[in-house]
Amino acid sequence: MGRRLHGRGALFDAEPAGLAPRLIGLRPHHHRATPLEHPDEPPFVVLTGTRGLGKSAVLAELRDAYQGHTPVALADCAEEQFARPPVDRSADSWSPLTQALLVIAEQLAEPVTGARRIIFPRLMSGLVAVAAGGWGDADSERIRREVERILLLNEGGSRFGGFAGRWAGKVAAKVVAAATGTGPLVSGAIEATLEAIAEGFAGRRHQKASEWYRTYPNAGGHAQRGLILLSRHFREDGPAREHAERYLVRALLTDLTEAYSGVLPRMQRLGRPLVLLDNAQAAPGPGLVAAVLRDRAEGVRDQVAFVAARRGEGRAELRSAARRELAEVARRTDWAPDATPSSRALLVALAPLSADDALHLVGSVCGDLPVPPHLPHAVHRLTGGNPLGIVLLAESAAQNLPGASSLGELLTAPVRPAEDRPGVPAYEALLDRLVPPEHLAELTVLAAAHGIGSAGALAGALLPDTFGPADVRELRTLMAAEGLPAVPGRFVGDRFVRTLLLLRLHLLDSDHLSWRTAHETLVAHYTAPEHARYRLHHELALGVTGSAVAELRDTFATADMRDWLRTLRFVASAPYFHAHDAEGRDFTGRGDGRTAVALGRTDAAQAVPEGADAVLHLRIRRLLHAVWQLADPLVLPDPQVCDRLRFELEQLSNLRPAAGALLWRASRDWPTAALAGRPMTGPDDPDDPGDGGDGGPDDRNSGEA
Amino acid sequence: MARRGVGTWLREGVWEIPLRRYLALLLAAALVTGLVFAVRVLAHDDRSCAPGVSRPQHSAECVGVATGPGPYDFGQARLTDAVKAIARENARLKPGSYVTVALMLPYTSTSPTMLNDIQHQLQGAYLAQYQANHDSNGQSPQIRLVLANPGATGTYGKRAVDQLARMTTGTDTLRAVAGIGQSTAANKAAVAELTTLHIPVIGSSITSDDLANGQGGKDPDPYPGLARVAPTNTDEARALTKFAQLKQGKALLVYDSPGDPYTTTLQKSFAALLKGSRYEPWPFTPPADRSQEGTTANTFRQITDLVCDTDPGTDTILFAGRHVQLRQFINALGARGCQDRRFTVLTGDEASYLTYEKDLNRDALRHNLSVLFTSLAHPDAWVRNPPATGGSQADFTALRTLLTSAERSPVGPIGSVALDDGQLIIGYDALRLAVHGIREAVQPGAAVPALADVGLQWPQVKGRTLRVNGASGWICLDVHGNPYDKAVPIVELTPEGSARFVRLAWPEGKPPPLDCLPPAT
Repeated sequence: MGRRLHGRGALFDAEPAGLAPRLIGLRPHHHRATPLEHPDEPPFVVLTGTRGLGKSAVLAELRDAYQGHTPVALADCAEEQFARPPVDRSADSWSPLTQALLVIAEQLAEPVTGARRIIFPRLMSGLVAVAAGGWGDADSERIRREVERILLLNEGGSRFGGFAGRWAGKVAAKVVAAATGTGPLVSGAIEATLEAIAEGFAGRRHQKASEWYRTYPNAGGHAQRGLILLSRHFREDGPAREHAERYLVRALLTDLTEAYSGVLPRMQRLGRPLVLLDNAQAAPGPGLVAAVLRDRAEGVRDQVAFVAARRGEGRAELRSAARRELAEVARRTDWAPDATPSSRALLVALAPLSADDALHLVGSVCGDLPVPPHLPHAVHRLTGGNPLGIVLLAESAAQNLPGASSLGELLTAPVRPAEDRPGVPAYEALLDRLVPPEHLAELTVLAAAHGIGSAGALAGALLPDTFGPADVRELRTLMAAEGLPAVPGRFVGDRFVRTLLLLRLHLLDSDHLSWRTAHETLVAHYTAPEHARYRLHHELALGVTGSAVAELRDTFATADMRDWLRTLRFVASAPYFHAHDAEGRDFTGRGDGRTAVALGRTDAAQAVPEGADAVLHLRIRRLLHAVWQLADPLVLPDPQVCDRLRFELEQLSNLRPAAGALLWRASRDWPTAALAGRPMTGPDDPDDPGDGGDGGPDDRNSGEA
Repeated sequence: MARRGVGTWLREGVWEIPLRRYLALLLAAALVTGLVFAVRVLAHDDRSCAPGVSRPQHSAECVGVATGPGPYDFGQARLTDAVKAIARENARLKPGSYVTVALMLPYTSTSPTMLNDIQHQLQGAYLAQYQANHDSNGQSPQIRLVLANPGATGTYGKRAVDQLARMTTGTDTLRAVAGIGQSTAANKAAVAELTTLHIPVIGSSITSDDLANGQGGKDPDPYPGLARVAPTNTDEARALTKFAQLKQGKALLVYDSPGDPYTTTLQKSFAALLKGSRYEPWPFTPPADRSQEGTTANTFRQITDLVCDTDPGTDTILFAGRHVQLRQFINALGARGCQDRRFTVLTGDEASYLTYEKDLNRDALRHNLSVLFTSLAHPDAWVRNPPATGGSQADFTALRTLLTSAERSPVGPIGSVALDDGQLIIGYDALRLAVHGIREAVQPGAAVPALADVGLQWPQVKGRTLRVNGASGWICLDVHGNPYDKAVPIVELTPEGSARFVRLAWPEGKPPPLDCLPPAT
């Protein structure tokens, strides 16, 4: 059975119970009851996070863990079937939500350990009524097909095999006859349905179910009239349709509640039924979520455990929902709803995986393959704990080791998603799933930007004219909605995605023309002296190191040491995808020139500029290359370079006794952090060395935007 | 999902689901109950054999009192017919109109001779019961006969006695216990117990002196309420010696040392007769269990040599021993050197066992050797020239008539009958004595006698009218319940294996007077 997900113990732990067992009342993968955390009303759990954080994997694992033990339905709102009505179906009688309800109910109906199928007479009646609205010009065969699928929701799964489906067939014949005959169409179909329910099943449950629509507003105590109103409301579209849809959702929940009430069901069923909604940011997700939350807020109780997953944080839709990090809900949620519907939801942000999880994941993917010892840490450092990134890189390692040794090579190496499928470069495979495909081209270009202004400059240089500054801003908003973090100083906030996009930019053309153009555009963009570090950063990305060394050397004696170190780190964080020659041109070799420079092997050949302190110049040059190499998320940290880094920083601390402490501190912290796969930040430094702690230059500077 | 074990299935597929859990618990409870019942049925050590009869712990013997109503033969096929006849007779009786008499004998004995005796006594007892219930002019109460088994060796006498004691009250109204048989320690304890409880006991074939009252000047009687049908060993020995007309120097004594009550009695009686004999008595020491062969055969070979060494005038050997040793002795005498000398072996009623003994060298009896012994009763005793008193042919003929009618329904069948061992006759007489005592004890107006009153009748059983005219001779009891001057048939062991009647002998040397009143001693 073994755990397939790493780092999600807060959800799946059994002892003590994680969020899922406490919510559902069952131990994962077991038919064993667990105390419920909120016995009166479960929170509507919404997992949030950007692409690749493993939301779908969590939902799939939830389904696997509880399937067969409690009714489980998984609906992926991004699926094609929810996007548009079937070809022969009119939009009048179809909505993504009705389709979702049908799909969900079909899955929930399945028998589980200890209990038989669940029937959905209310939902069935409602769906037939809605579907009947679109039968005006339909042929009987289509009607039969549609109605039979819906009618099967009421099939209790008889012990006598032949019985299953027979009732549905009979009712379908009646409904078809009523629908194609003379007289008002909708009411005929509804009448036939209701009659069939009352005839076919005389039990108390069915009696109750057939009377449920009596309470539909303005039904006047007639179930049939209630259904006709429902059908009409649905066809009217707009708020009326929403109203009808909400009533259908309520029908589903009532049917489920009914299945769980009574002495016998209570003695047969453990836990709560589980409905899983993937990509709940897309229709019919929001509608379904809203309907459930609103009913719950209005006191229409149900005991269904909902777990939805959505990209982005959903701040607009679920304004007053409780928000928790995954680790916070590991033992208890501290969730208490207030009057607003959205407070019934509990948003749980899926956290990136830890370095340990990365280690385990790489280990489990690579199996017995000897993996370079630093690879898991490096992978974690590169991906920032993104589960998809870790898995794909581990997959790439498993398929390409020992041929590819660096992360850059692993990213560009082809990965076959399956034995018989052609391989695609790992970074392409990752970008496919981490970035909205329709915006990949624009983001590839804009990844090099630091803010709106630089992004506009890049767009002007590299993107079609139709892509204006407004589009840049919209793209940024879209990324925020996607859940990608907005980080000052980087147009694409997520470091891992940014690296991948830059890599793609680099490899966009065989002569790296786009890459060069992008950086040259930005070098030209940052002309102001206070933006020197940006300019130097992009020059470095182009392989030009001279100006960076000169700037760092010249400011060493005078600059604030903290600033100086920050500038060093920011400049050295420039991407480096493969070696550059002395003139800054790309060549196709696999060597990494930075190591040789950092270790001083090229010092002899280096001409020190006139008037400069030769020792300091060379030291700064070695230091820059060492940091550049060690900060490169694509390269495994080289211990030798680390040693050298320590040495150079120590030496520098002697040169500026006043700021010696900072330098000396860095000489201890940076190599350790680099070796451990962490960013090279000191204890008193902000987390990100790149942003300089003061945001992106062009967001702040109105003159630029 | 990984394959799950049975334990997980039980835990999660059954236990966790309340409906299944309760059903499973119900099912388990039903199974356990069924299992318990099954185990109890299978493992139940049914130690009961029949109503009132069960096997004691660690014993396969069925002991106790077979209270019926169905017949129970203690697993002895030869008793079946008689037992059935008794059950039939018992079933006929109306509650309240009868008293119960138990016939206590070791029914589960494995010894064929013993079983033979038991069968015959039982037949006799039944005939007496039948006679009492049918041929006594409607005298009351009627007699119900039950079988009480103290075990083959009397080990469970206490158990039987307790049961009998309980039967003295209630509908059983037990008023007498007859039978008893050999005078073993267990039997003595049982009789002592019974008499302590004031239950009258009528010994049928007891001959031992120490299972009798008034012996050796013991006072008061050790067994108050015990009456005997058979004469004491002393009386038998007296009769025997009276018969033999022993002369000094013509007889010698071979005796069991240390002896048991029976042999000791004989030995003492014989020794008294041999006072001043030339030869001191010759002892032999048999195994403790005298039914075992032991090494006494050697001793007897040596004694035989000594016998041949005696004076030519010596022709009588008095033997005070049990029947196994007697058989060995006779076999040894058959191989004696002095075959030309004639010897007569005189011994007690133990010799009657040899009539059916296969290991006896019957040829020995053809070579100047005759074995004479006392018998409790003999069918030929009253046939030719009966004496005027002490018994009569008519009394015996009454039994004969009963026997004839018992050959078929409604009286019989009672199984194969043989009279010459006297057991049937003595059993018949014992029960007649019991019936006599019971009926004499009935107070005017009462249907049944009081328990204690029955035993009080024994001293009055004498005189012309109150004596019991038994088929074995008159039974006139002295104050101790012992028969006075009871006829003792002297019989001879024949080479064919039967007991030939020789003649009647009398402890007093002559038949009792007509009034049959014991004189003052």
